[in-house]
Parts: sequence; structure tokens; C-alpha cells
Amino acid sequence: MEKKYWNPYFGGVVLGTMLFLTFVIASQGFGASGTFSRATAQLLVNSDKSWLENAYIASYFRHGDNAMLNWTVIETIGIFLGGFASALLAGRFMIRPDKAPGYPMAKRFLWALIGGMIIEFATRITRGCTSGQGLDGMATFSVGAWIFMFAAFAGALILSPLWRKQWVGENNEGGEE
Amino acid sequence: MNDLILPLYKNGFLTPEANFFFAIVLGFTFGFVLERTGFTRSQLIADTFYFKNIAVPKIMGVTVITATTWFILFAWMGWIDLDALFTPGTYVWPYLVGGLLFGVGMVMAGYCPGTAVAGLGTGKSDALVFIIGLFGGAFLYFVLYPYVQDFVSSSNLGVFKLHDLFGGNAYTSYILTVALESGIIGFLMLLQKLTNKGEK
Repeated sequence: MEKKYWNPYFGGVVLGTMLFLTFVIASQGFGASGTFSRATAQLLVNSDKSWLENAYIASYFRHGDNAMLNWTVIETIGIFLGGFASALLAGRFMIRPDKAPGYPMAKRFLWALIGGMIIEFATRITRGCTSGQGLDGMATFSVGAWIFMFAAFAGALILSPLWRKQWVGENNEGGEE
Repeated sequence: MNDLILPLYKNGFLTPEANFFFAIVLGFTFGFVLERTGFTRSQLIADTFYFKNIAVPKIMGVTVITATTWFILFAWMGWIDLDALFTPGTYVWPYLVGGLLFGVGMVMAGYCPGTAVAGLGTGKSDALVFIIGLFGGAFLYFVLYPYVQDFVSSSNLGVFKLHDLFGGNAYTSYILTVALESGIIGFLMLLQKLTNKGEK
């Protein structure tokens, strides 16, 4: 039996308290995008040492030869396990993609792939994603996080008509209950 | 007694190994809550941009209000040094351009890196494809880094907080943050009402 999702306000209070505890303990907040940049750098350097000549990659190896020995990388493993445990307990674990009914699977995967590339590229420019830059920055009163969040919302909103079929469907189906 | 000032790690009350242990624990709770609130569904995130469901900005806004309320209470009691918390620097133009790009990626994919990792844990196949894309995006950035290097480090204001911009102190920033977040939630609720008028 599938459980109901939490009320958004309740979820926010729990998540905000978690974010507070994370800062109180680790002195930094949540993050995720850095993990994939570090993993990519590690894979490249493992395959060919000459990648260390790249200034950006080299910055990950300043303190040792393992770019993955990093708080955010380890935390990301926890995020995966937490999502898995919660889905299992709620009876929501299921292998499937999200999309409007009838939208072609291949196109959904294509946009997920290209979107992922754009997002990781963008997070290198913005020093973090909606977690590491958005939530952490807004929680520490940073002006930059607000610039990032407003710009991200604007970018998504301006081009949202192009992906309407993927999310809303042809005749306003899909969406939310 | 008064020697213990938060945060723990920065002020030397935790070994790096203990901090790594907490990384797993805190990450686990983060992923758990992301799933419980429905953040692991790209559909829910995408619904935001069509004003179908605004749970995402509601949760984010309340998250920030809650975290900053704890911070300001603890700072008031003298239990935490807010300046010791890691705060991302502010790079005006890079964040504007990078933010726009990020938003485009988000409406295409319906994920951001954190929600995709938790989403992968719930079995989402689009999250897996998205994560493969993340590796590709990082690779692209490394290759193009020499060409974008100057731009991404431009207009650097360093650690720049709301009260550096508007004057005052951390309390001013706190009041501004709560006002902005509640204002945004209220505004989006109004927009949602107007957008879905007459739609079934």
C-alpha cells in the first residue's frame, strides 16, 4: 500500500531542521553537484594522468590523489541510500521514468540526458546546485544564492512551453492530482 | 562550559573521520526527506513551472525559513558563530548566466543533482539517464574551462550577505529572508490560482 507524501509545510520544517543540523555539525550545508564533477575528474585522471594539466581538475587534487575523499561525495552516497530506504518503506520503489502519459520514452530520456549535461555544466559556473548554492546560500543569507535562484526560475519559466508536452501532456493531463 | 561554540567541525570538536560519518548519516536523512516530500519525482519539480503544483517552492521556502530561524535563535543565545558556516561566494554575472542555464536544464530534465540521486534510489530510470548526463556536463566544462575561466571568476563580491547589501546585521538578513520566502510562496499561490482558473 502506497503511503501519502508529506505535507509541504511539514516537509519544509523537517528539511530546514536537517539543514540546520548539517551546518551545526559539518559547518557546511547539503550539496550534490560537486560529487559528479569530482567523480568525472577522478575517472579521467585514473585513465590518463595528463588530465591533471587541466587547471580545474588539478584543483581537486591539491590535497591528495583522491578527489572522492570529500564530505559532499560521502554525503551523496547517503542521499542515495536515504531515498532508497524511504521509497521501500513507503511502498514506492518502482523502476520507471516520470513523464506525461503517452509521451515517448526515448524523448523523455533524451531530455533527461541533455538536461543533466546542461545542469552539471551550469553548476560549475554557479559553484553549486539548488542544494549547495540555493538552499545553503539562502540559509546563510548570501546574495549570490538569490541571484542564482531567481535566474534559475526565470530560465525554467521562459522555456517551459517547449517541454509542456513532456510534463503536462496534450490536453492538460498528467500534472498533479 | 562556554568553550563549545557551534559549528562543531570548523571549531575543532570533530575529527575529519567523525565528520565523514555524519556525512553519511545527514545525507541519508536528506535523501529520506526528499523522497517523503515527493522531491524524487521529476514530475513534481516540473509541475512548478506550469503552476500545476507548487509544493517545491513551498518546501524550499519553509526549509530556508526554518533553518535561518534556528540559526538566529542559536546566534542570539551565543551558541553558534554564523560567520564560521560555509557560505558560497557571490559572482554576479556568472550566477545570472549559470542560473538561467540551470533553469533550462531543470525544465528539460525535471531534476537537480540532489533530487536525482535520491530519485535513483527510488528506481527512477530518468534519474539514471540524468546522472549520466551530469558526468557529460562536467567533462564538457573541464574541456571548455580555459575559455570560460575568466568569465566564471568575474564580478566576484566574495562572501556577500543580504545585510552587506541593505545594511544592518544578521537580524536584518533574517527578517528579509523570511519576508522574501513567504512573499514568494504567497505570490506563487496567487499565480497558481489565476493560471488554473477554468482549467479542469
